Amino acid sequence: MKLYETTIIYDPGLEETRVAEEVERITQPIAQAGGEVIEVQRWGKRKLAYIIRKRRDGTYVHVKHKSPPALIGEMDRRFRLNESVLRHLTVVAQKESPRPVEEATKGTEAPAVAAAPAASAE
Amino acid sequence: MARDGESRSFRRKFCKLCFDKVERIDYKDDRRLTRFITDRGKIVPRRISGTCARHQSQITEAVKRARILALLPFTSDQYR
Repeated sequence: MKLYETTIIYDPGLEETRVAEEVERITQPIAQAGGEVIEVQRWGKRKLAYIIRKRRDGTYVHVKHKSPPALIGEMDRRFRLNESVLRHLTVVAQKESPRPVEEATKGTEAPAVAAAPAASAE
Repeated sequence: MARDGESRSFRRKFCKLCFDKVERIDYKDDRRLTRFITDRGKIVPRRISGTCARHQSQITEAVKRARILALLPFTSDQYR
């Protein structure tokens, strides 16, 4: 099981309900194969940097998921067959390394903020 | 006169990503990546941008991925 990130660009003409259907068609096989969908981000309609299949815009969907590597090839095949998919890309997700500098500042800030209202209330 | 380079004030280039303490540059961060491509859409070489080796290879990979997803252009339209 590996952590992946898949981004799909759908046809901009696709209605909201159809997009939801398409997302379902990605997430279901992942769950069936014993994987796990971690996050589904909908970036919405965006302008493309260049024209793909005569389209200037695309509906972007970004899915973070844990899947068995064997599923990725099958996913790729399905995207290729799907007419409403303009582009797709799956990459192995980078584990976000915790930033010690930011964590440290957050740690000191949070108690200070929490303490301030309490002090003013008293 | 001939030695123009000598009269110009010399400024050492530095890696902007190291300066910002960027751990990893992401292909989805297209606004940050646009700073490292020319107006023609080419990746800016290290000798121009001053980026360190580690970040330059990350930029290269990220730009190429962003191009696939049409977040960045392969080339500019006006030159086509």
